[in-house]
Amino acid sequence: MEATPPPALWYKDAIIYQVHVRAMFDSNGDGIGDFRGLAQKLDYLRDLGTNAIWLMPFFPSPLRDDGYDISDYTAVHPSYGTLEDFKVFLDTARDRGIRVIIELVLNHTSDQHPWFQESRSSVHNPRRDWYVWSDTDTRYRGARIIFLDTENSNWAWDPVSKAYYWHRFFSHQPDLNYDNPAVREEIWKVMKFWLELGVDGFRLDAVPYLVEREGTTCENLPETHAVIKELRCRLDQDFPGRMLLAEANQWPADLRAYFADGDEFHMAFHFPLMPRMFMGLKLEDRKPITEILQQTPSIPDPCQWCLFLRNHDELTLEMVTDMERDYMYDEYAQDKGMRLNLGIRRRLAPLLDNDRRRIELMNGILLSLPGTPVIYYGDEIGMGDNIFLGDRNGVRTPMQWDGGWNAGFSSADPESLYAALILNPVYGYPAVNIHSQGRSQHSLLSWMRRIIQVRKSTSIFGHGSMEILYPANHRVLAYLRQLGRETVLVVNNLSASAQAVELDLSRFKGNILIEMFGRNIFPRVGDLPYLLTLGPYQFFWFRLRRI
Amino acid sequence: MADDDILSDDLLRQLISVGEVDILVGLHTHNHAETVGHVVQVIRDGLLKYFPRERVAIVNADGGSQDRTIDLVRAVSISDVGNVSTIQALRTMHIVSTQYSGTPSAGKAMHIVVAAADLLRAKACVIVAPESSEIQPEWIDRLLRPIFQEHFDFVTPVYRRHRFEGILVTNLLYPMTSALYGRQVREPRPAEFAFSAEFAGRLLGHELWTADAGRLGPEICFTVEALSDGLRIFQTFLGPKGRLEQSPDLVVALRQTVGPLFWSMERTNSKWSAENQTQRVPTFGPEFEVTSQAVNVDRKRLHHMFRSGVGDLQDVLKSILSPGTLTQLQHATTLDEDKFQFADELWVRTIYEFAASYHHEVINRDHILQALAPLYRGRAYAFLTQNSEASADRLEARTQELIQSFERSKPYLLELWTAKERGS
Amino acid sequence: MGNLIASELSQAWNEFARSFAHLLPRLLAVLIIVVVGWVIAYLTKIVLRSVLRLVKFDRFSERAGAAQLLNTAALPSASELLCQLVFWLIWLGIGMAGVSFLGIAGLQQDIASFLHFLPKFFVAVLIVFFGMLAANFFARAALLAAVNAGLPSPQLLSLSLKVVIVVLALSMGFEELGLAQNTILIAFSILFGALMLGLAIAFGMGGRDLARQFLEKRFSERRAEKNKASDLSPL
Repeated sequence: MEATPPPALWYKDAIIYQVHVRAMFDSNGDGIGDFRGLAQKLDYLRDLGTNAIWLMPFFPSPLRDDGYDISDYTAVHPSYGTLEDFKVFLDTARDRGIRVIIELVLNHTSDQHPWFQESRSSVHNPRRDWYVWSDTDTRYRGARIIFLDTENSNWAWDPVSKAYYWHRFFSHQPDLNYDNPAVREEIWKVMKFWLELGVDGFRLDAVPYLVEREGTTCENLPETHAVIKELRCRLDQDFPGRMLLAEANQWPADLRAYFADGDEFHMAFHFPLMPRMFMGLKLEDRKPITEILQQTPSIPDPCQWCLFLRNHDELTLEMVTDMERDYMYDEYAQDKGMRLNLGIRRRLAPLLDNDRRRIELMNGILLSLPGTPVIYYGDEIGMGDNIFLGDRNGVRTPMQWDGGWNAGFSSADPESLYAALILNPVYGYPAVNIHSQGRSQHSLLSWMRRIIQVRKSTSIFGHGSMEILYPANHRVLAYLRQLGRETVLVVNNLSASAQAVELDLSRFKGNILIEMFGRNIFPRVGDLPYLLTLGPYQFFWFRLRRI
Repeated sequence: MADDDILSDDLLRQLISVGEVDILVGLHTHNHAETVGHVVQVIRDGLLKYFPRERVAIVNADGGSQDRTIDLVRAVSISDVGNVSTIQALRTMHIVSTQYSGTPSAGKAMHIVVAAADLLRAKACVIVAPESSEIQPEWIDRLLRPIFQEHFDFVTPVYRRHRFEGILVTNLLYPMTSALYGRQVREPRPAEFAFSAEFAGRLLGHELWTADAGRLGPEICFTVEALSDGLRIFQTFLGPKGRLEQSPDLVVALRQTVGPLFWSMERTNSKWSAENQTQRVPTFGPEFEVTSQAVNVDRKRLHHMFRSGVGDLQDVLKSILSPGTLTQLQHATTLDEDKFQFADELWVRTIYEFAASYHHEVINRDHILQALAPLYRGRAYAFLTQNSEASADRLEARTQELIQSFERSKPYLLELWTAKERGS
Repeated sequence: MGNLIASELSQAWNEFARSFAHLLPRLLAVLIIVVVGWVIAYLTKIVLRSVLRLVKFDRFSERAGAAQLLNTAALPSASELLCQLVFWLIWLGIGMAGVSFLGIAGLQQDIASFLHFLPKFFVAVLIVFFGMLAANFFARAALLAAVNAGLPSPQLLSLSLKVVIVVLALSMGFEELGLAQNTILIAFSILFGALMLGLAIAFGMGGRDLARQFLEKRFSERRAEKNKASDLSPL
């Protein structure tokens, strides 16, 4: 079914909910979430206030990397349902005003993909050049290893082909060769397949690594950008209004290139900002946050940063200094079991010691900084994690709907669930679940609904500019958001103790501050610096009005 | 609670912005543009290297500098305002500057620093002299770590000195405080030192801030307070002591050291009068290190000023010293340079009689201190002459002998101290 | 004639006896006043002595250098001196007031003048006393400063300063007493002016070479002293 042409820049007003279909709701009792189940839960997402959903890979896959090792790009994994189920889900989402973004892993496939099977079979196979082969493992020495905990080389020996193949991730995920036009054409066909079904956008995984060149880091190469440009051009031509979101764990200056002149990605994740938010909170100092924002280049008007607190991966510490990484490990992951691949594999609530105030503050910052926020499923109720599940599976446990059988996720036997439920007394599903939080106006879930509602009450957060203020009190992170004549002042106390702060609002003299949650009036801005006092981890959103 | 009279509104506002800190560095300046830039950079490097995660603020109490001192200090702050810094630092490093009114004095500046440390609940405070040209980043670690890790209250330095430098310290301040208070602190008047939050709290309520002695020589008062209150004291070897281009006038030095020491003795009478034994203070590194490069000293002048001083000040010295001591000093003036001696016992008795006279205020106290100057010169001359060839170990042995001499004569001091009338 | 003489003698005796009888009660009254005055003065002295002991007046006077000064003059301690002074002032004052009661013409006026003179005398004594104290203090301060600065003839300098201050104090004292005011004033002015003029001439003309040498020597000594002194700090 064709999607109705969406208004331009819809992604700037989006509140994206990230979920794995497997984790949301099991409709057929096999212990694995599916599309029919997900469709049943879309009302919940609508009530939460989210208006876009990002689905993690749901394609056929041997599931050695949780679906990121794809073996068929144009089908649905049988565990999650059928293509028909997916279509029904799409329609249901559209009816509720929820856009659907699916994930496409462009860089590599599973080694079980027919393309690779053919490619490895013979050097003369037509698909031989669909992957990157070499007789030695010494090429492209400048490329770093990403999965340090499990891989010790970017080359893997294939006993069938008697040659090495290139893989930037797991060895069972051989990289596609984007120098081959046939590969590029095929990928476009894949994208077109899903676009024609009606998806609103793609999150393109691991884009910096598409092309390799000798003597380089094999990341962010001009040839990679050329590939993206080509795909974007075809997208705009045939499917205007659809969105491309880049997953590129790079420094802001390198990320800028992925927006180009507005002819590559519409959105890109701001990876370096995220760990610095956690760092600033622990240090009780805005410096890490403001400095990374200062280093963040401006992007073309139609483009947007994508912001997040946590996701399905480890909290990555690749884009920080060694000193900062050590600090983050010591403060957030004393137990070495929590550490993985230069990151920390924990959910939001456990990272913040289940401190409601800090959870609210971090969400407040997420929802007020310039960019489109992504909420990871379960973080809206403060779900916990299980580091003993191995790899990053500890943050991908079943959704906790209620305190009953299997947390209301599935009717199957608990032992048959795709992953064990969280059981401990603090985060376990009897204590943390949607049903009980929905019944309380003061729960975290209710609070999240409220703040999303406030955010959506104005387009300033999605579209407005930002100007950082620098009050003398470094524990306070304050900034102005402006769009046209509208101004919002955001003030965040990053510390565990009450703070006083004086803000230079002299150019807004005469404006009245209206606090956006309670809509109460605060004193008018006068000649003197504007004095505010904030409780521990408290934040304010003020609308400035001249009456 | 801090005395808010010494904290101006502007300073208070700055402190509010800083908030609670783990480490506070105090810097008291007055026209130190030549040296302070280097000093604060080294302090910053030391803090970033050894305490990168701690919350730090540098408080600069300035006595009204007319040069670029304050700007140079402010330049090392680390903050997110302005251009992105190339310095890798986890946290903001605050520089708080304030200019106090009135005559520049170490006492006023330290009062501000101690008050700030108390208000900001600093776990440790370190004071650095703005002319410390020899300072290294490691000094910060060596001064602060004993407080952080081993919970000492007061950390004093040990310097590598020239063998003949600091005679006032080695011949009076060090041995006398050791004998009186039972613990051997090498530098009772340190240029760099550190103290704990608990000590800062005690100091804040001290009467030294309102006394002239405290204004001129707070460091000695701190040391005596730590010694007499039985606080945990640690010594740490730093390196060469920073040398001023121009050494301070002797009378000024006496006002900054001996005066506050005598004043402090009055307030700690019950403590030192009961102290019997001397023990060493835990020390990191060597307890003494001396260098021997050649120096130019006019010994002749020292001897001459001693002789003429004793002669000209006879009437004044009569009010201060006992007849016996004065006679011996007069006899010493008759000795030629090559035969000159100033025995330990005579020196100790002289000092104790001065201390007692200061206590009884036989004449104006500042006059008493001034009258000591020529006698110090005589002692310095004797020290230089008798130890010109002595090894470092021999020098140290002589210092220990002097300490014992101060200890042996303590009953005499007590007797003088409690006498109702002078001359009895 | 014998009777006349006897009669005159008798009359004279009667007049004398009458005058005496007229005077005797007053005399007795004066005596009683004097005795009572002594008692009051004595009691006041006792009380004052206790008060001064309580406020540690002697210690204060010792700090101010007064004790030394009095000691040198073989006078008793400051508190004792003050007590005695107050004693005599009260007794004399009461005594004089009592004597005036006798009604002897002329004597009353003299007594009034004396009583009027007493406070001035007291103030003059105080001026001279404090002047001496100041002289001692500043002389000692100058002596110490000169000795420590290595100036030549520090004692001469100190003594000169002392003399100047003492002379000034004495002049002020005499002026307060109103004794030979003009004489004292002129003499002091001449003395002081001559001293200053003499010094100026000595340095400016007669002693210019010496002055130059003195200054040169002082400056070069100071520079050398500075250079040498900076090699070793006492701290």
